[in-house]
Amino acid sequence: MRDNLIVSGSPHIHKKASISRIMWTVVLSTIPAGIAGVIIFGWDALWIILVATIAAVSTEWAFESITRHKVTILDGSAVITGILLAYNLPPGVPLWLPAVGAVFSIIVGKAVFGGLGQNIFNPALVGRVFLMASWPKYMTTFPKPFNYDAVTSATPLAMLKEGKIPGHIPYLDLFLGNRGGCIGEVCILALLIGAAILLIKGYITWHIPLTYIFTTALLTYIFGAKQLFQGDWLFHILSGGLILGAFFMATDYVATPLTPKGQVIFGIGCGLITAVIRLWGGYPEGVSYAILMMNAATPFIDRYTRNRIYGT
Amino acid sequence: MKALIKEFTKGIIRENPTFVLVLGLCPTLAVSVTVANGIGMGIAATFVLLGSSVIVSLVKDFIPGRIRIPCYIVIIATFVTIAEMSMKAYSPVLDRALGIYVPLIVVNCIVLGRAEAFACKNSMASSFFDGLGMGLGFTLALILISGIREFLGSGQLLGHTLIKGFEPIFVFGMPSGALLVIGLLLGFFNFLKNRKR
Amino acid sequence: MNIQEFLTIFISAVFIYNVILSRFLGLCSFIAISKETKPALAMSFAVLFVITMSSIITWLVYRFMLLPFNLTYLRTISFILVIATFVQLVEMVVRKSSLQLYRAFGIYLPLITVNCAVLGVAVLNIDMFFANGKQLAGSFYYSIFQGICVGLGYTLAMLLMSGIRERLELCDIPRSLKDFPLAFIIAAILSLSFMGFSGFKFY
Repeated sequence: MRDNLIVSGSPHIHKKASISRIMWTVVLSTIPAGIAGVIIFGWDALWIILVATIAAVSTEWAFESITRHKVTILDGSAVITGILLAYNLPPGVPLWLPAVGAVFSIIVGKAVFGGLGQNIFNPALVGRVFLMASWPKYMTTFPKPFNYDAVTSATPLAMLKEGKIPGHIPYLDLFLGNRGGCIGEVCILALLIGAAILLIKGYITWHIPLTYIFTTALLTYIFGAKQLFQGDWLFHILSGGLILGAFFMATDYVATPLTPKGQVIFGIGCGLITAVIRLWGGYPEGVSYAILMMNAATPFIDRYTRNRIYGT
Repeated sequence: MKALIKEFTKGIIRENPTFVLVLGLCPTLAVSVTVANGIGMGIAATFVLLGSSVIVSLVKDFIPGRIRIPCYIVIIATFVTIAEMSMKAYSPVLDRALGIYVPLIVVNCIVLGRAEAFACKNSMASSFFDGLGMGLGFTLALILISGIREFLGSGQLLGHTLIKGFEPIFVFGMPSGALLVIGLLLGFFNFLKNRKR
Repeated sequence: MNIQEFLTIFISAVFIYNVILSRFLGLCSFIAISKETKPALAMSFAVLFVITMSSIITWLVYRFMLLPFNLTYLRTISFILVIATFVQLVEMVVRKSSLQLYRAFGIYLPLITVNCAVLGVAVLNIDMFFANGKQLAGSFYYSIFQGICVGLGYTLAMLLMSGIRERLELCDIPRSLKDFPLAFIIAAILSLSFMGFSGFKFY
């Protein structure tokens, strides 16, 4: 897709990648996490994913039809927004919540900017923070994993925020998803499988995820405990939405810097803000806010990390 | 007389200070959390607007051009102080709710803007009706915005619950919601304006 | 006077209760001037300077002229006069000393007089750091620092906004939303994002 941004004379090199192909491959890469979410949290999770996706696609179709633009729902980007929004929601939410969130994501996160390729912010995250601010009670009630009745439990990060050090949760549980959390964020294994697909195909690069995760780990290692350099960085990497965010949302083509140098700055910034919120802020998790803030800073980052044109 | 009525009505729709002139947004967004606050601010601002417009139009020939802005500010500030003190005395609840935005009426672009753009060039009668119209337009805009925000953000209007079982959308009570509402309203009014052409 | 108080003021003024995105002070100039980065930066520096200086002067006026003589009801009038005079003075000084600087800042200076942020912070300082007619410990330094932080918060919001709006120049925005409406929507999203820092606590 970056090829579309190059304005130069021929000859051009053609790649097989087109916007649709990339988007649908991303959709594919999110499926493992979705399956894991449904296994861990039950059919409720599936309904939420479906409602969010259908709402997103319908909204985009409606908006584009009414404003007489070309209808682009087949390019898969609305589907991705719906899926990612759903993955950021707790499994027990009433179904109108993802629907409203998806509509908001598409309209305020994408359509008002002019559609695909022009949004400044990651649309799914715009929807998520809207939902978080609007219905905090629903957005912070997490059912227990593998428990298909409505028993709730706190997420590992929430426990940490309240001062109860969750040392009793084995890392394997965190890795496989045996913990409370949002639908798509809990099963790290499934997320990494999907991320591997994208990395192998070259649709995302390591710059953002690696710098993001590393920065967060570093800061939580240094400051995460009563004494310096005693923090449980592995816990932090495996908890919350860090892996989901770093690989699937912080790597959004449109809302992130163009150059590798810019991407590294972006990744570090995200990591910094995430760690600061997790360590000292009021919220237990800061991934969504961090990515959105860095999205806002991206125009600046792009400006100051422009590649020098050969010959100037 | 017809001309005076025209001065009055223009402030309500054609040159509505909030939606058309896009002035005085700071207090508009800040206080529009509930309709009660909106009306309170609207009345206070209208009082200041009326008073200052009238006085400015009366003394306009006596003020040297170079220092006219500070002079207007002093006149406006006097009325704001009167409004402030009256509010503290007769309605301390409202005063607490509106907080720092009451003294900030001094720098409300609408008030200074009307003094500079209109009152200093027109007669007392015209200025009076202009001030009244602008104040009313401002108050109506406040009621519209705070009505939307209060209803969506807390399910109530003027403190009364309208629809049972309505899940309030808290974001509308927050600054972000205010910015969203005004952005969408401005877009909507633009849309209406564009359609007319 | 402790460092935690300073840190809290910084985080509050710049992020959680950002002067523009949360308190809406200075919104008019924000929406109007944030279209391009250069003017946005110029305005921000001017605002930062004026807010800091006016925080100092208004605090002194309140403490040594209004309080002792029980004239606190004259707060609004005296503060705005102080600000207007100060801005006028600055304008004259800048015009005399550097015509280039004047051309860069000059047109924005008179605008700052009516910038809600300046008067707003002056009033806020008094509300926050005085109680029962007496100043709280460290009040003077907190007030100055708050002024600086508010200026920084203003600058941050302006820079982010101008970067975004400049990039949007190339985009296909729906006609009804061009300029102001979209600017407000972007501000709404920024405001939501900054909320991430709420509840900040230093141990």
